[in-house]
Amino acid sequence: MKRYLVSAIFMLLIINHLVSQEVDFEEYDLDNGMHVILHQDNSAPVVTTAVMYHVGSKDEDPQKTGFAHFFEHLLFEGTKNIERGEWDKIVSSNGGNGNANTFLDRTYYYETFPSNSLETGLWLESERLLHPIIGQIGVDTQKEVVQEERRLRVDNSPYGAFFEVLLKNLYTKHPYRWAVIGSLEHIASATLDDFKNFRDTYYVPNNAVLVVAGDFEKEKTKKMVSDYFGPIPRGAEIKRTVVVEDPITTTRKATYYDPNIQIPAILLAYRTPGQAEREAYVINMISTYLSDGESSKLYKKLVDEKKIALQIFSVPIDAEDYSSYVVGGLPVGENSIQDIKNEIDAEILKIQSELISERDYQKLQNKFENNFVNANSSVSGIANSLAENYMLRDNTNLINTEIDIYRSITREEIMEVAKKYLKVNQRVELEYLPEQKEAN
Amino acid sequence: MKKYIVFSLFSLFATLSFAQIDRTQPPKPGPAPQINLEEPTRFELKNGLKVMVVENHKLPRVSMQLIIDNPPILQGSKAGVSDLTSSLLGKGSETISKDDFYEEVDFLGASVNVSDQSASASCLSKYFPRILELMADAALNPNFTQEEFDKEKERILTNIKSEEKDVSAIASRVQLALAYGTSHPYGEITSEQTVNSVTLADVEKHYRDYFVPANAYLVVLGDVEFENVKTLVTQYFTPWSKAVPPSYSYAKPKDVQYNQINFVDMPNAVQSEVAVQNITELKMKDPDYLNALLANRILGGGSQARLFQNLREDKGYTYHAYSGIRDNKYSPMRFNAGAQVRNTVTDSSVVQILSEIDRITKEPVTQEELTNAKAKYAGNFVMALESPETIAEYALNIETEDLPKDFYKTYLERLQAVSIADVQNAAKKYFSTSNARVVVTGKGSDVLENLEKVTFNGKAVPVLFYDKSANKTEKPDYSAPLPEGVTAQSILEKYIDFIGGKDKLEGVNSYAMIAEAETQGMKLELEMKKTTKYQFLQDIKVMGNSVQKRVLDGDKGYAIAQGQREDFSEEEIEKVKEESAAFPELNYLAAGNITIEGIEPVGDRKAYKLKITDKKSCFYDTETGLKLQVVNIEEIQGQQITNTLGFHDYQEVSGIKFPFKLVQTAGPQNLEFTVKEIKVNEGVEATDFE
Repeated sequence: MKRYLVSAIFMLLIINHLVSQEVDFEEYDLDNGMHVILHQDNSAPVVTTAVMYHVGSKDEDPQKTGFAHFFEHLLFEGTKNIERGEWDKIVSSNGGNGNANTFLDRTYYYETFPSNSLETGLWLESERLLHPIIGQIGVDTQKEVVQEERRLRVDNSPYGAFFEVLLKNLYTKHPYRWAVIGSLEHIASATLDDFKNFRDTYYVPNNAVLVVAGDFEKEKTKKMVSDYFGPIPRGAEIKRTVVVEDPITTTRKATYYDPNIQIPAILLAYRTPGQAEREAYVINMISTYLSDGESSKLYKKLVDEKKIALQIFSVPIDAEDYSSYVVGGLPVGENSIQDIKNEIDAEILKIQSELISERDYQKLQNKFENNFVNANSSVSGIANSLAENYMLRDNTNLINTEIDIYRSITREEIMEVAKKYLKVNQRVELEYLPEQKEAN
Repeated sequence: MKKYIVFSLFSLFATLSFAQIDRTQPPKPGPAPQINLEEPTRFELKNGLKVMVVENHKLPRVSMQLIIDNPPILQGSKAGVSDLTSSLLGKGSETISKDDFYEEVDFLGASVNVSDQSASASCLSKYFPRILELMADAALNPNFTQEEFDKEKERILTNIKSEEKDVSAIASRVQLALAYGTSHPYGEITSEQTVNSVTLADVEKHYRDYFVPANAYLVVLGDVEFENVKTLVTQYFTPWSKAVPPSYSYAKPKDVQYNQINFVDMPNAVQSEVAVQNITELKMKDPDYLNALLANRILGGGSQARLFQNLREDKGYTYHAYSGIRDNKYSPMRFNAGAQVRNTVTDSSVVQILSEIDRITKEPVTQEELTNAKAKYAGNFVMALESPETIAEYALNIETEDLPKDFYKTYLERLQAVSIADVQNAAKKYFSTSNARVVVTGKGSDVLENLEKVTFNGKAVPVLFYDKSANKTEKPDYSAPLPEGVTAQSILEKYIDFIGGKDKLEGVNSYAMIAEAETQGMKLELEMKKTTKYQFLQDIKVMGNSVQKRVLDGDKGYAIAQGQREDFSEEEIEKVKEESAAFPELNYLAAGNITIEGIEPVGDRKAYKLKITDKKSCFYDTETGLKLQVVNIEEIQGQQITNTLGFHDYQEVSGIKFPFKLVQTAGPQNLEFTVKEIKVNEGVEATDFE
């Protein structure tokens, strides 16, 4: 215990020295294992309280998918001290707003208030962790809501199923293979005990990080944090097994029919390194190079000049164990998805066989610098970055140093990473086609 | 031992320190935070451009915004010229091509946008001088070209066309047109006709007339030094010639004399758009401005408000109900309360919305409602201060809205001082339930009967009729009496005679058709073959690939969809057999069990509606006798979906008239097939049905 304390103090000192830069913060652990990050900025009377739990869809039982996201809904249903339906009222009668979201690896809850309601934020989040009410009424209500959400976002939404279909094809063993929203049948058949078990396993302070960002007094806030969160009992250690996928060695071809679209799409998806890896940052640069902005390579060539594509896109989807990189487009007029595929392949081949130009490299650096500066413009955004850097990249201070990684990436490295990960035989090719209703 | 002591000491400490909070009650908020409102620094150019600079060095970035605070512009017969001008701006300048402009802005990681009454840009502070220069160049020396003009005009026309069946788009257009009048800038309608009358010269003139510095403000915000901004802005904006925009007057919008429903018939509507509206005169500088905002918030400003609670939570009429009040220094504005509701509850929704407006004008709101509404406004006000844009926006409002200098410094104080009586007085002044115009856009044949019975506060609310362009029109006639002697049989016979006669039709043994449709650039091909021997083939191809195929050969058949083959069930075989008739009217006539359901409008025609089955009806033109459409009700995953197939452009092939244009509408999807080829008694092989 003593050693622990010393090292914690030592750590704080170091961090304080390092961060005389953009985002100043302090971090420590409560005795129940909850990690706390404080970012004080008194320039505007605004404060965000946020908790990120290290649980996402990848922690689900393959027979009970959708639990992590369902839980996020359930935890707005009230607690021992907050009646059902009161949560939103409390937030808005304090002049604040809040929400939550769930992804592959984590679940995130947050509120932003005028700074005189900081304590309300801490109370709400500690109540959510300490004694949420997991009852039949809430479960039944949220089953309906989640079904509506699935209809809205996936089933009735143009191109809404693409991520789900890609995951299914990119991963065969890893729990990333099912979608975050999961299966409606699994949720429908789940029992109250299933949900209680899920909570007991993952909703424990030693699996969470609390961030307070904005206008507050540090000492008073530390005291409140320990008052509200300190008494919450530590949970059992969480056993995590990392599933290793076999590499993809031959192209996986898939077809999907979406009744909500009129124009087909081609999607090429690659399995790329987890988000903490340096190579994941290189992939981000490649993605920007290919498709960000009206003068980017693919946009300019396919949309503007050759007019083959109505739209092109490329998205790196960051996650802890593996990331996914998706590039694709929608054809215009007589052009086929094959035409688009050929053009994308030609452009990727170029990155693999020659260095990008000095000017394009400088453009990338400018864009990343601009993103970096704008990412830290609100306390709610800062809170999210701090939590995610701590929990999923294991380095809270990345909020200040991430730009150095991009600066240090060379043109040669971009070529190497493109060669290593963007191979045709290592990808999924998804033809995403309109499902045609009969015409008579 | 030692370890034990450390542990117990720790737990003692822990108990002491956690013991003091009461979790059963929400914590009380601390004292209201201090609001710190900076003042921008200012200067003015000789051409009239007023510049405000807000220095904020927290992040190395700059944003800039040019706002031209002109009175609203009446476009008249050239409506659409504003939009067109906006879409041609920001794409380079007289000396920089579009490609070079985009490349440079992207290279610097920046963004630049220009529209017909504003411009904006953002960038890292180190690129500020160049981005300011690019924004000024694009805004002051635009490169209007015929090529881009034609492209953008096409885009606007496509949008207008795609809105013709869009109930929400038509509803909001008519709501505005009726509130303000079609010769007011906020009520005028941009139509295909007005857009077509706009030329490149009109765009140039619009830009010359209105993109002038007389009412212009430039706000520069972020990591900059005042003196440097002054030098650069002076350099880049001094060439902007001094000028004042043309001015004219237009009729002041007025309320109606008595409560009334203005109905717009949209036969394809599955929901009604209901808007209760009246005219308000509210300016930010009015002493009861905040009172009016609070009254609106309690009535319909969110999910805790009365309209939402009543129409959604309590009655389940709608997903969302809201109200909106607007301030404007140039013109009286529209207050509206409304919702998108199910057809069957259209009349009830009108009454509920009117009642809620009535209640807030006649009864005081509760203290809890007022406290919560104030908390939301106070919270938004305080939290907005995080964004440096807020400082600029406030300074700009003080200037353009003629507000007292301390308007925002005293904002929270004034907000807290609003009383229950103030809210009620504002509601009385700004909301009307005696001169309310209720605009309902919906399916008349479903909703009118009940809508015409609506009474409010003991008085009938008359229904007046308008078309999609807000012109007065006649009540749509759904119940025209059937002319003497018209029966289902006479309608079917007239149709059969007209397309070729019974003998001709009975002589058709086989029939083959190829049709094409295009949706957003993608080609669909439809091939269909039928014989009198219950043989049927339908094949749909997308860009040459078959995506769906259905085949019937007598008593067996199958479908291939998404690459999977499935044999027809007996039920399906019966259904497809019905479809396999080339001229089903021959069968209807023989069966003799078809009934006539009345006369209904189809597009701009009138048609006899024949009920074929519970889920299928056919419509025949009352004058020409031609079949205009078939409506099928299908059940897909528990939902009833109306599938309409319209027939147009009848042409003769082998002495029989066939429709050469087929329009299929199912839900929001719309497919227009053009027939490429029809063959009668040729082009069909037995192998087609294998």
